[in-house]
Amino acid sequence: MSKPSKIAATGEPLARLLGVRKPLDARARFWVGVLAFALPFLSWCAVSYVPFIWHPQVLVSSAGDVKVPGEYSYVAEGDTIDLDVFVMRNRELSAAHAKLAEGKRVNPIYLQAPHEVARAMYTAFTTAPERTGDAWLHESLLQSCKVIFWGFFWSALFGVPLGVLCGTFPFFARLFEPFVDFVRYMPAPVFGALMVTMLGLADEPKIAIIFIGTFFQMVLIVSNTTRAVDASLLHAAQTLGANKRQLVWHVVVPGALPGLYRDMRILIGWAWTYLVVAELIGEKSGLSAFIYQQQRYRHFDNVYAAIVIIGVVGLCIDQFLAVLARYLFPWETGQTGLVRMMRAMRRAMPQRALVRT
Amino acid sequence: MFDDSIALPSYLDHPPEVAEYFAEVQKRKVVLSIEHLGREFDSTDGPLVALSDVNFKVRQREFISVIGPSGCGKSTLIRIVAGLEDPSSGTVAVDGIPVTGPGADRGMVFQNYTLFPWLTVRKNVLFGPKMKGMRNDKANKAADEWLKLVGLADFADLYPAQLSGGMKQRVAIARALANDPRILLMDEPFGALDAQTRASMQNHLLRIWQAADVTVLFITHDLEEAIYLSDRIVVLGARPGRILEIIDVPVARPRSTEQFLSGHFLATKKRLEDLIHRCDSPLNEDGELLHV
Repeated sequence: MSKPSKIAATGEPLARLLGVRKPLDARARFWVGVLAFALPFLSWCAVSYVPFIWHPQVLVSSAGDVKVPGEYSYVAEGDTIDLDVFVMRNRELSAAHAKLAEGKRVNPIYLQAPHEVARAMYTAFTTAPERTGDAWLHESLLQSCKVIFWGFFWSALFGVPLGVLCGTFPFFARLFEPFVDFVRYMPAPVFGALMVTMLGLADEPKIAIIFIGTFFQMVLIVSNTTRAVDASLLHAAQTLGANKRQLVWHVVVPGALPGLYRDMRILIGWAWTYLVVAELIGEKSGLSAFIYQQQRYRHFDNVYAAIVIIGVVGLCIDQFLAVLARYLFPWETGQTGLVRMMRAMRRAMPQRALVRT
Repeated sequence: MFDDSIALPSYLDHPPEVAEYFAEVQKRKVVLSIEHLGREFDSTDGPLVALSDVNFKVRQREFISVIGPSGCGKSTLIRIVAGLEDPSSGTVAVDGIPVTGPGADRGMVFQNYTLFPWLTVRKNVLFGPKMKGMRNDKANKAADEWLKLVGLADFADLYPAQLSGGMKQRVAIARALANDPRILLMDEPFGALDAQTRASMQNHLLRIWQAADVTVLFITHDLEEAIYLSDRIVVLGARPGRILEIIDVPVARPRSTEQFLSGHFLATKKRLEDLIHRCDSPLNEDGELLHV
């Protein structure tokens, strides 16, 4: 080890972590990433398990002398009441020299402790729903994924080509973009009633809402990404003899592809946002219906379980797409593993398959 | 400043081998002819004349440089020749056929490399032939030969992002030449490179030019680069962009870096400096700097 590098490595830890625009080293990256989830989780645990943090209510275990009259005499055993009500009642009881009420401080029902949510998540997957005919959690999850998939599929099927067209030909940009921009400002849920009337109560109107919510944004975002393809690449291709069709297929499309992929990653997150509204129109379905139902039963542990699952699914999809991108676009990341594998596979194929007839 | 005691030959004074060379060039076919070329831009202060009445011809296998101060329209000129911009007046013709748009007969090398980042080095070189519908195996072989000529045969499967600036520009040259153009247009191709890379790229280019049958139109603002590489130098003046002089370079070929200190080289350089500095800072009638 030479001296200067040692100094750099052992420099003040805080200064190393908080350098302006200074990238973190691999170990710091990992642990700070862990902290990103650990911090909110630990504060959740603190609020849930440390009795003197928050806990604004009292679960009454014994109401004391119930015969003592007073403004707060309604306090009964088993009630969950606000802390100040409990204090006032005990003041009344102590003024009458009667037996005091007892209880323990609890959080309101809408704040469930981590272990309760974890248990709910487990039981939701393992025990049948309370009412026959209600969906299991995994069925709801699958249903939601299905609606998202089809909504996003149709949106991308039309939105991407239209966006690329607008980004490539100013004629189409002028023809489509003003109207798309106009519709974009209408919140997708306002079409809910119309979609139900047109498409019925099942999945179709929900898919339509996700389509409306993402399609118009997608056209504009895709066309901007397409426009961002370096014009000098187009010029270079033209001086190499590319015609109009070849310019689009061999320069514009591959040039925009990594950007389009990033756009889709962002837009799929939007689709999840619209999902919650979409699933509540017509016949309620999917995770939103599950959440809605559980909220009516006041099973807030289940509500949290469903919300956490949405987060986990979203995070998994995004991380998967991020890792996939590294292999799909080796020219941006230097990850040539997939390309090398494809080349090896092509070499392994019988030679005849290579020659196009 | 030049010491008056050093006696330089006139830049118009050609050594016999150079005179012989120019006489031989005169017999060759004209590849590119530019006639009465003009280009105006609309600006808020009325029309801005970028180029006015530009005339010159480039013959087969000639190496012509266009030099001039910034704003003299040299980039506009090469873009019009490439067909990427339209002239306001006049014509550009390749082999007598007027240019109406970009085409494979005029290959171009840009300052910012413009390699396709999603294609490997070999596939970048293959781009032109592929667009023409050339068969894979034949095109592959040709591409590998061009890569060998620019000294990048071992890098064929890398992506442009993995190459240095000089290597990228060599790929760009191979890519343009693999398409077998009538004329190679180079728009300040070494402008973004550091001094050492630049010098080695100039030697590379001379070697390629000698090995292959290429006609080159080369834009630069580097006087020594222009003299070192070219047969003739077209000197443009600014506002409006117009030809001040076309200089036949009196330095014998093959060129070497020792010639940088030869009398003919220095004389040419002095002449270029005089021409360019004369129009570099335009003054108004009162002798104040014009802000354009």
